[in-house]
Amino acid sequence: MSTQRPRPAVVTGIGVIAPNGLRTDAYWKSVREGLGVLGRITREGCEHLPLKVAGQVEGFDASALIDERFLVQTDRFTHYAMAAAALALDDAGLGHEEGPEEPFDIGVVTAAGSGGGEFGQRELQKLWGQGSKFVGPYQSIAWFYAASTGQISIRHGFKGPCGVVASDEAGGLDAVAHAARAVRRGTGAVVVGAAEAPLAPYSMVCQLGYRELSTVDDPDRAYRPFTAKACGFVPAEGGAMLVVEDETRALDRGATVRATVAGHGATFTGASRWKESREGLAQAIRVALDEAGCAPEEIDVVFPDALGVPEADRAEALAITDVLGAHAKRVPVTAPKTGYGRAYCGAPVLDTAAAVLAMEHGLVPPTPHVYDIDCDLDVVMSRARPAELRTALVLSRGLMGSNAALVVRRGGGLAR
Amino acid sequence: MTRRVAVTGIGVVAPGGAGTAAFWDLLTQGRTATRGITLFDPAGLRSRIAAECDFDPYAHGLSAELSRHTDRYVQFAVVAAGEAVRDSGLDTAAENPWRVGVSLGSAVGGTTRLEHDYVLVSERGARWDVDHRAADPKLHLAFAPSTLASVVAEEYGAQGPVQTVSTGCTSGLDAVGYAFHTIEEGRADVVIAGASDSPISPITMACFDAIKATSPDNDDPEHASKPFDNRRNGFVMGEGAAVLVLEEYEHARARGAHIYCEISGYATYGNAYHMTGLTGEGLEMARAIDTALDQARLDPTAIDYVNAHGSGTRQNDRHETAAVKRSLGAHAYDTPMSSIKSMVGHSLGAIGAIEVAACVLALQHQVVPPTANYEIPDPECDLDYVPRTARPRKLRNVLSVGSGFGGFQSAVLLTGPGGRTR
Amino acid sequence: MITTELTYGDLAALIKQSAGVTVAPEQLAGSPETPFSGLGVDSLGLLGIVGELENRHGVALPTDAERCKTPAEFVALVNNALAGV
Repeated sequence: MSTQRPRPAVVTGIGVIAPNGLRTDAYWKSVREGLGVLGRITREGCEHLPLKVAGQVEGFDASALIDERFLVQTDRFTHYAMAAAALALDDAGLGHEEGPEEPFDIGVVTAAGSGGGEFGQRELQKLWGQGSKFVGPYQSIAWFYAASTGQISIRHGFKGPCGVVASDEAGGLDAVAHAARAVRRGTGAVVVGAAEAPLAPYSMVCQLGYRELSTVDDPDRAYRPFTAKACGFVPAEGGAMLVVEDETRALDRGATVRATVAGHGATFTGASRWKESREGLAQAIRVALDEAGCAPEEIDVVFPDALGVPEADRAEALAITDVLGAHAKRVPVTAPKTGYGRAYCGAPVLDTAAAVLAMEHGLVPPTPHVYDIDCDLDVVMSRARPAELRTALVLSRGLMGSNAALVVRRGGGLAR
Repeated sequence: MTRRVAVTGIGVVAPGGAGTAAFWDLLTQGRTATRGITLFDPAGLRSRIAAECDFDPYAHGLSAELSRHTDRYVQFAVVAAGEAVRDSGLDTAAENPWRVGVSLGSAVGGTTRLEHDYVLVSERGARWDVDHRAADPKLHLAFAPSTLASVVAEEYGAQGPVQTVSTGCTSGLDAVGYAFHTIEEGRADVVIAGASDSPISPITMACFDAIKATSPDNDDPEHASKPFDNRRNGFVMGEGAAVLVLEEYEHARARGAHIYCEISGYATYGNAYHMTGLTGEGLEMARAIDTALDQARLDPTAIDYVNAHGSGTRQNDRHETAAVKRSLGAHAYDTPMSSIKSMVGHSLGAIGAIEVAACVLALQHQVVPPTANYEIPDPECDLDYVPRTARPRKLRNVLSVGSGFGGFQSAVLLTGPGGRTR
Repeated sequence: MITTELTYGDLAALIKQSAGVTVAPEQLAGSPETPFSGLGVDSLGLLGIVGELENRHGVALPTDAERCKTPAEFVALVNNALAGV
């Protein structure tokens, strides 16, 4: 399968299902304007729990975006992933109905950090409330982490390399890198990303053990990283899928080459060891820059992890400074996710989508809800800032200890 | 220049006895570890049998913290990784930690503990608006699938790429495959790779009941798992873990490590057909085999043994037989192909890694493990399934294949000393 | 004695509930030979319908039930089995 010619892995399609927008254009409009959509969790059975605020996807119309039968057959996290994948494929010009000409040339990779918890809770309730014979057959394919990759592969007829990283947040970037490597190894295109649906009663109970979780009940104050008022992160549902494609293949079929997945680094420094994450994140950035052949000064914008825990935010600011040096004070930094929450593995994929859109529009979006910065970074606040953006750095850290960095460049990589 | 990937350590926690030695004894003696379920009361279920591990975390020296707050599948993995690292002789403290990674698979992760606490917070399924006060404060460790790789990485000081892989029943093969790629591509020099699952719980047994995938032979559990036999009627649930130490070949040689074999090829494809269904042709699995062979630059005739997925469902065993014949051609009839699920059951995501471990041991001992309980041929499954008795054989290249819900079809190729033709 | 006969209307409701697929009772009755697969009901969906009927009636249906290819075949088999209870 290996080929001699260079095979830059480029982004040719973006699909978003997020609390601040269904479809990519709606998402970008909200991000650009710094819209805050965090709100009280309204899902049935959640009202009494100490986690009050989240980013909920509203107005998702399954029959329009996927097919109504999937409401019975699989979980919400897969509905979002399937819808985002279909949007990304349409965007890339690969959304044909009859399946691809060369099915083995397109793969599917997703990251998953919470699985089909709502579906699982319903079936657990049938099992324990009524008996084992009341558990339905779709439980066997809806709860597990691989559900989204499998459903997307089947729906679109993609038989290429299919994978799932069941990860903490950083897994979203690992998945994108996994797809880019599959492309470099010879696969034509990979639909990749993550979508999550952690807002069901039992799933929320499970998250209460994360000490980094914000339980502040005012949506405007619940998630404010890099400030003295930082009090944890706010979870969200939704996510994004990308089409990552061999650049030559994309050009040959006349697709728009939007960005290049240029470099990735992944390290591990232990669950909730935020002080140590400084070194781990710095190392991940170095590896990503090295793979991208990118000097620190070339980074034009940083999309940080922005956990919202003071110790973690400090470690992240220091990690950026450790690697970017004096440039760290000048480079604009933005965390649009403060407007809609952290969708676990979906969060860094949404950031990657935002990074591509920001480069295309020459605009660094703002960081909603964040005003008084308590660190040495140039965090873009209040309104979007015009800037010539050629290279973006996306960072992510997971609650179980992973750190990841992704370098994304505007346009293709062949001419570079 | 391509970096080669060596296997330098093995650790196993499998039904029938923890440890690599006990595992290999079971396989080569053709004994079965399937029995009536003891981990919970299975009354009311259609399939009430499983291959269970007799496992006490304290007896294996796990800390009280790990023993109390992590799920059984995490504990299996920690123990198996410990054995693998000791076996490899690797001094993890002396390694550059950024160059040591972890790649572990699991299909269903912490569902057993999730179910346990669900029963408490829901008052046995009585309420949707569950009461968080009844839950273990560390329940997030069962919720987050990455706990598996995280805990093992922490135990053994790995600070490089750390991933949990969850591709259903090919998770184990894919975790080994991802690790292989990680080393080959130069992103790490050592990866602790394998898989673990502990799915023997009411919800998982009930969901496989619902699709009639598991064997209902409750009266004769020892003979319930009958891969390739015409009487086969479903798989028997299992549990366990296997972990390998994978290492860049020159890195292993430089420290004088014992090299069991190399991982020489890996591929995975989707069948894009159905979440649980398999085609009769096996086209996608065949493609995975072909790609793995291509990577290793080997002809199909170089394959000396196929470790089958062989779950013992009607459709799987036919699908797989068709796939192997498609790839190996006439050579398929001369190649022994066995399923160790006949002995240790089907531990979902873990089994792929357990089967790779069996392949490593087969190469080491030059013995093919048998398919236990194989008595009556199925006309559509007409290969040499190594009935009941282990068989000494010259082995250089062995193949392990698997299929998973979601349509995953994976193949891992292992090459022993002298097996390389390039 | 309560009637246990499965009508096409019942089946349409079961298909919606267990497989998530909307199909009009008239369509089922009008062309009962259209295979389940053509209606978008997969093997898991049919297993779910069988399980639901078994739970409702407290009886085990023959294993052939989940192998039926068409609504006509299925309705005939189920009604035959329920009549024998």
